[in-house]
Amino acid sequence: MRIMKNIVFIMDIDLGGEGRFASSRRAPYKFSIDSWKHWASKNNAELFILNDLLMSHEDMGICWQRYYLFDILEANNIEYDQIAMVDADTIIHPDCPNFFELTEGKFTGVHCDASYDWVCRSIENYSKHMFEEHKMPFWEYIDCGFMVVNKKHKSFFKDIVNLYHSNKLAFKEMEKFHVGTDQTPVNILANKNNVDLKLLPYEYNMVDLPRKELLANDLLFTNCGWIYQFNCIPNNEENKATYYWMEKTYKHLYEN
Amino acid sequence: MKKNVIYWVGVINPEHNDKYGNYEYFEYSKNTWKHFCKRFDCHFVEINKPIEDDLFKFRINWQKALFVFDELEKRNIEYDQIALVDSSCMYKWDAPNFFELTERKFIGWRDVDNMRWTNDSIVGYENIFNNFKLDRTKYINSGFIIFNKSHKEFFSSFKQLYYDNVDKFCELQDKIVKKGTEQTPLNYWLQINNVELKTDLPIAFKLTHLHRKEMFGHNWQLNEDNTPYFIKYGYNWIFNGLPKHERPKIMKQVWEFVKHNYSDDILDTTVHKDTHKFTTSRKFKEDILKYFSKGYKDKTLVELGCCQGTTTKIYAECFGKVIGVDIDTWNIGQAKNNCSSYSNVEFIQQDLYNSKWEFPNADVVVIDAGHTYEHIIRDIPKIKKYFNNPIIIIDDYGNPNQTIRKGIEELVENNVITIKHKIGADAGFKTATGLVFNDMEGVICES
Repeated sequence: MRIMKNIVFIMDIDLGGEGRFASSRRAPYKFSIDSWKHWASKNNAELFILNDLLMSHEDMGICWQRYYLFDILEANNIEYDQIAMVDADTIIHPDCPNFFELTEGKFTGVHCDASYDWVCRSIENYSKHMFEEHKMPFWEYIDCGFMVVNKKHKSFFKDIVNLYHSNKLAFKEMEKFHVGTDQTPVNILANKNNVDLKLLPYEYNMVDLPRKELLANDLLFTNCGWIYQFNCIPNNEENKATYYWMEKTYKHLYEN
Repeated sequence: MKKNVIYWVGVINPEHNDKYGNYEYFEYSKNTWKHFCKRFDCHFVEINKPIEDDLFKFRINWQKALFVFDELEKRNIEYDQIALVDSSCMYKWDAPNFFELTERKFIGWRDVDNMRWTNDSIVGYENIFNNFKLDRTKYINSGFIIFNKSHKEFFSSFKQLYYDNVDKFCELQDKIVKKGTEQTPLNYWLQINNVELKTDLPIAFKLTHLHRKEMFGHNWQLNEDNTPYFIKYGYNWIFNGLPKHERPKIMKQVWEFVKHNYSDDILDTTVHKDTHKFTTSRKFKEDILKYFSKGYKDKTLVELGCCQGTTTKIYAECFGKVIGVDIDTWNIGQAKNNCSSYSNVEFIQQDLYNSKWEFPNADVVVIDAGHTYEHIIRDIPKIKKYFNNPIIIIDDYGNPNQTIRKGIEELVENNVITIKHKIGADAGFKTATGLVFNDMEGVICES
């Protein structure tokens, strides 16, 4: 009998397009993957990297495809206990505590402590146009760049996928607001479906580091928390700044 | 009898009058917390004078923590839980009672706004606490904390710590670390003493650094409601992390925007025509409350042209059911917001002149839609027929720029309606836009 392990699941797919989908955007993801590889091995977890799209990007946006998580793992004959689904623009500190032990078996994430103009606007816009005015408390809104789930959440993920397929055109239409793709619908749906949510402290998914005055060459953030998401970086032409910070952080944490 | 306490600290330091705009913002903060105390039957304890006069050695921030229990006992206040509140906080008029959520633990909210500042502060004070390794995930902001009698010993030992090391603390605070006053030492002392901390109450209860959070704005994409996010979704608004000289101006603006919500008088809870264009006068609303005070609780009112719902809530006080209709989507959004505390109000977005009417029967109908002679002579007969001779309230009778009065007079002359009462502001009343009424503001008519 195979032993069930905790899984770290990362998508790293080359869309070969332009702009947001340019291959160059992926360049720094290697630092993320290597950091997670290291952490997973230290914490008896297994790293799973998805390199291929399940269907065309036009049929289903890349961010949405990750909610086939359970199907993907099962199709690959992977036994799993809990799964951390993380974005490839994150780097984890080698000494990060084993967060799988903190989840209480619940749907786990970290509150998105970033621009509340964006968060509130996104909740309101999606609520009005896609969820019949169903609102959720802004303080329970999580960033989907780090989520921990388990078998119990299979049906919730199925609901997410079904929601997408039943409202594909409407989701496309929502893009004009520039308030995210899957993140807000997933948050509202979790709230609407009363999915039991466990929030971990900000230190487990440190988004928008510049807003916290932490993104500087002293890499102070590596002393202040465990998982760093390199988003909301200003002057980030062609993702060069992301590459700079991720490379620098990785080297600092793993090559010194 | 033991009650929960709002321990509000606002001490004027005349040397800083210029910097803090003569501390006028204290009043705004105080008003909101007094309102909280009234709603939830709490003691409001105001600290407006220093307990130790040496404000160099004993900054007010230190004093609030050092002497809280001494002061309550000196004043013979029987206390249950205590919320220690800075004068930079304003509490929302209808926000929940946090004392019910404490599980009787020490309550604080995490300070993760400027994490460079908190890091420097934590590192700066590490030495004086024998290099104790602080759990940063439990580092709290001390501007709003809640505790109870079981924490008296803790505060007593904190006081002793300060008196024993006052010179060292002052040196760190003013010359070496220069990041905060009592907050970081308090955090160290809490953790060193293993005080059980609860830090998971929603951040709506402690909304700090509003500008950093980008909460001063509203949803400009939907544009249905221009209430700033922090007012709409926050409970406790904390005006910190911004230049100190900006605080009085911002808090004054906020107070002007929300003050009507803190009054017990329903007429204070809405805006009036002397300051706002799209509403009725205070006198108009007062007359409605008087006229319909008895016998209408089981009746229905339809308001055709409800605008932003500022008078609708007055109707909702008198009638069992109120239906507000307006052509403008944004107005309907505002109206919903203004009447959110009324369960007997419903709003419909509809163009009255280019759509079929499908309203339930009503006993009273307000007409405040088209404002011309032509509208009135067409609307009134239609209303009479559709609603089966209801009481009709007409606004803007005395408005000099409209021809409504001419239409009403003609209908009266032709025995279509009779004026029962003239209501609202009298001739000579000046509106927010500078119009001067030439007759009374409105009329109540019967068929």
